[in-house]
Amino acid sequence: MSMPPNKQPFDLGKAAYLGLNLLLLAFLLAPIAIVLVFALNPTPYISFPPVGVTLHWFDKFFETADFMRSLWLSLWIAACVLVLSVVIGGACALALARGNLPGRAFLTAFFMSPLMLPAILTGLALFQSYLLSGIGRPLWGLIMAHTLIAVPYVLRTTLAVLHNFDRRIEEAASVLGASPARVFFEVTLPLIQPGVFAGGVFAFIVSFDQFPVSLFLVVPKGETLPVVLFNYMKFDLDGAIAAASMVSILLALAVVLALERLIGLKAYVKL
Amino acid sequence: MTSATIKLDCVTKTFDGKVVAVDAVTLDIRAGEFFSLLGPSGCGKTTSLRMIAGFEMPDSGRVHVGGQDITDVPVHRRDMGMVFQSYALFPHRTVAENVAFGLRMRDVPRPEIAKRVAAALAQVALTGLEERRPGQLSGGQQQRVALARALVIEPRVLLCDEPLGALDRKLRQQMQFELKELQQRLGVTLVFVTHDQEEALAMSDRIAVMNKGRVEQVGAPTEIYERPRTRFVADFIGEINLLDDGPCPGALRPEKIRLVPVADARLEGTVETANFLGGATLYRVAAGGRTYLARETHSGERSPRAAGDAVGLAWNDTDVVPLES
Repeated sequence: MSMPPNKQPFDLGKAAYLGLNLLLLAFLLAPIAIVLVFALNPTPYISFPPVGVTLHWFDKFFETADFMRSLWLSLWIAACVLVLSVVIGGACALALARGNLPGRAFLTAFFMSPLMLPAILTGLALFQSYLLSGIGRPLWGLIMAHTLIAVPYVLRTTLAVLHNFDRRIEEAASVLGASPARVFFEVTLPLIQPGVFAGGVFAFIVSFDQFPVSLFLVVPKGETLPVVLFNYMKFDLDGAIAAASMVSILLALAVVLALERLIGLKAYVKL
Repeated sequence: MTSATIKLDCVTKTFDGKVVAVDAVTLDIRAGEFFSLLGPSGCGKTTSLRMIAGFEMPDSGRVHVGGQDITDVPVHRRDMGMVFQSYALFPHRTVAENVAFGLRMRDVPRPEIAKRVAAALAQVALTGLEERRPGQLSGGQQQRVALARALVIEPRVLLCDEPLGALDRKLRQQMQFELKELQQRLGVTLVFVTHDQEEALAMSDRIAVMNKGRVEQVGAPTEIYERPRTRFVADFIGEINLLDDGPCPGALRPEKIRLVPVADARLEGTVETANFLGGATLYRVAAGGRTYLARETHSGERSPRAAGDAVGLAWNDTDVVPLES
């Protein structure tokens, strides 16, 4: 004889929890939805409710030389920052986690400090030091500045992976005949790689979205996309801004998805 | 497979300049021997093993393998096999790649690697799991992969750091048999670190019992069990009655005490508890102002004694093992 299934009583707590989560999701996604609405709205100024659907603003965005030049520049800078911060942040994390460094806690806090400081302060400080030391505002200076801000992200994700790292795995490799260099390339690097690249994704996005630091360090005709958008907004507030924002969001998403497909971040880091 | 002797020559290791982990330990391990380092946690057994492997450098003293002083040889040139308690498999590689690792490091040609990996996996009954990843295997299977990975390079010495500690009891017993059988078949010198005295007694040719960084006694399992030299060894291995009321302290195993009618007894007492162990019963008997442990093996029916019963205790003086004070 089979038992009748137990009836689940209506659970108020569970329903409330679900409701709260939906509310939070809506809160997170609503601004993006609004940007999309404005990007598709044909009126020459930002208004609500929308009166139709057009791709005009996307056309305008892609046909404006200023936008395109700065978009490519931003992508190029973000790519450089990704590579640099992955190398520097990864190496830093290894040294901090593994090296027998004096004042390790202080050093960690020091490398993390760009996260604590308001970016506008970092930007101003860099601007003044660049000028005082006669460097001026070259592109590499901007890339270095972005890298400075991005390294803590890589550092943090890599340290997290290293924290849970079973060092016996490296010992097993060395007892099997792997020299220290081979242990690093055959075991350590592949195992910390997901953490490093997860940080790299943040680094890319931090650089691509970077505004306060860039504001101080760009030169005319060498502005990054956020700076160009800001300047544009000072005079025009039309759908091109919304279209640009949509493109930025989609590009960032594409990078995250590409890296996820490439190395499977999901298994290691909750994005 | 060739095997090698291992010699620790007055080896000392201190951590952070004060904690003495291993204190002037000298050990002679014979070629082809199953040798256990047994002791409680913190007794220096793992540190001793790690000095043989080369992960730790002794502060003083030398390590010899096969008659050669290898104290200054780096880990990756020592040609040893090692099995860790956590298995330490490479999670990003398949079973076959894990086992092939040591051969790849030795630049063995590919076809030979494939052949030897297949043979090693067959040896531990894992044929067919070559393409799995460690995460997809059970604890016992991971253990076997770790063993195959260590043995495929045909090491002269196999070091095992509590390799069965993470397995459940039943599986552990089975792996004990398998490991012992494999070691005998290959004739490799095996150094086995454990805190589990039953495991050490069951598997070893010889055991070194360690305490506080020193070796208390080295001997065959029967010797260690029957003739413990110090109070620590007697107490650590199995249950024991320590008789230190006389002029010289002695130890008496619970199974050497007979429960007899009060009239024939050396001591009269009362049963405090009777723990049924399956094949035997362990009694705690209050007698002469202290508690004695007595183990009675069941041949036929289980003894009817229960808590509160009056019993007599008897033993032979020759069964009392004198202990060094």
